[in-house]
Amino acid sequence: MIRVNIVDLKPGMVLAQAVQNQQGVLLLDAGAKISKKNIRIFKSWGVNEFTVEGELNKLKAAGETPAAEIRAAVKMALKAKFSDVMDDPVMVEIFNAASKQLTKDLPKSEHEKENSRPKKNYR
Amino acid sequence: MKKRIPDPKRIIDRIDDLPTLPRTVLKITELVNDPKSSAKDLARVITDDQILTARLLKLVNSSFYGIPQRISTVTGAIVLIGFDAIRNLLLTTSVFDLFADRNRKNQQKQEKFWDHSLGCAVGAKVIGNYLRHDSIEELFVAGLLHDIGKIVEMMFQPAEFSKIVAVISRENILMIAAENKIMGYNHAEIGKLLAEKWNLPAKLVQIIAHHHQPKVAGSFAMEAAIVHLADIFCRALNMGFGGDNKIPPLDRFAWQSLKIQTSAIESLMKTMQDEYGDIRLFIS
Repeated sequence: MIRVNIVDLKPGMVLAQAVQNQQGVLLLDAGAKISKKNIRIFKSWGVNEFTVEGELNKLKAAGETPAAEIRAAVKMALKAKFSDVMDDPVMVEIFNAASKQLTKDLPKSEHEKENSRPKKNYR
Repeated sequence: MKKRIPDPKRIIDRIDDLPTLPRTVLKITELVNDPKSSAKDLARVITDDQILTARLLKLVNSSFYGIPQRISTVTGAIVLIGFDAIRNLLLTTSVFDLFADRNRKNQQKQEKFWDHSLGCAVGAKVIGNYLRHDSIEELFVAGLLHDIGKIVEMMFQPAEFSKIVAVISRENILMIAAENKIMGYNHAEIGKLLAEKWNLPAKLVQIIAHHHQPKVAGSFAMEAAIVHLADIFCRALNMGFGGDNKIPPLDRFAWQSLKIQTSAIESLMKTMQDEYGDIRLFIS
């Protein structure tokens, strides 16, 4: 049994304990397999902590798929969109923020994790 | 070759089956704004309209709220989700309905346009919150309607619209540039005329008309600037499709008048993306 936060909750996980909203209304019973829809409902009710079946290291291993290719493709499309406006420093900020948002759900490889500290532009 | 003089006003006049905004929605907006009105008052207006009633109950009983027991009365629904949420929801779905399903061929494109509008609406709301603007709901609606002119083009000017689409894909330019090139006027002007025809408040008319040049929006320049920035944010975040694959340049005046710290951009866009994900569930 492991405690997970809403951000780490993934479809397919199995609830070890029932989930209730703040008013104590039952949203999903223990033993249920979590769907995408369930996660949305939990979010809309503001439920943040869950207890699911499984072991911690297995869970981590599951999220290890490298997604560098998708990330690169997303960034390239975004660069093309911004190509005419990058001389504006504010637009550069918007570009960076968008690029971060659009790739945040992609799992990171170990190599990328080490280099993920925000890069500053000192120019 | 004879060049005809472009006249968006004449085009709008020719379209006499342009949709109208339901009266009930306007009445509900008034009631929600009045601190003296009760859930009962609001319920009375909503129950007068069968379609709105059905929609509201459907939404409250939908998975978005995830309430295990059935809510069967409008008053119950209002108490549960609150006044502002009700108005937001009814206005949003009504506007979406106005143009829905008229042309199957364009359906997918139209849905993408709406997603873009919804993204901009959420952005305007998030920026408005950050700036402590006093009418967030109005900003939301303004964002939702800012590109309404594009929908009009798509549905009522199919010949021009397909030329515009062709120019965009050939030259990879902004839709507004392609519109000006093909028609000599653009969606902002068409949107303005439609908003006037709908008798929308002057603020909304001005925002729709000037979301590309907020400075010209007079006393509503601030609100137009908010929608201008929200438009850029939602394009950057790939929310829907605004008709082209470019980001419009940030208007200097708009950016300076908003006085937003560049360090706040990231958290604004994050909030926007979270809220967009939530609200999209209402509509789809």
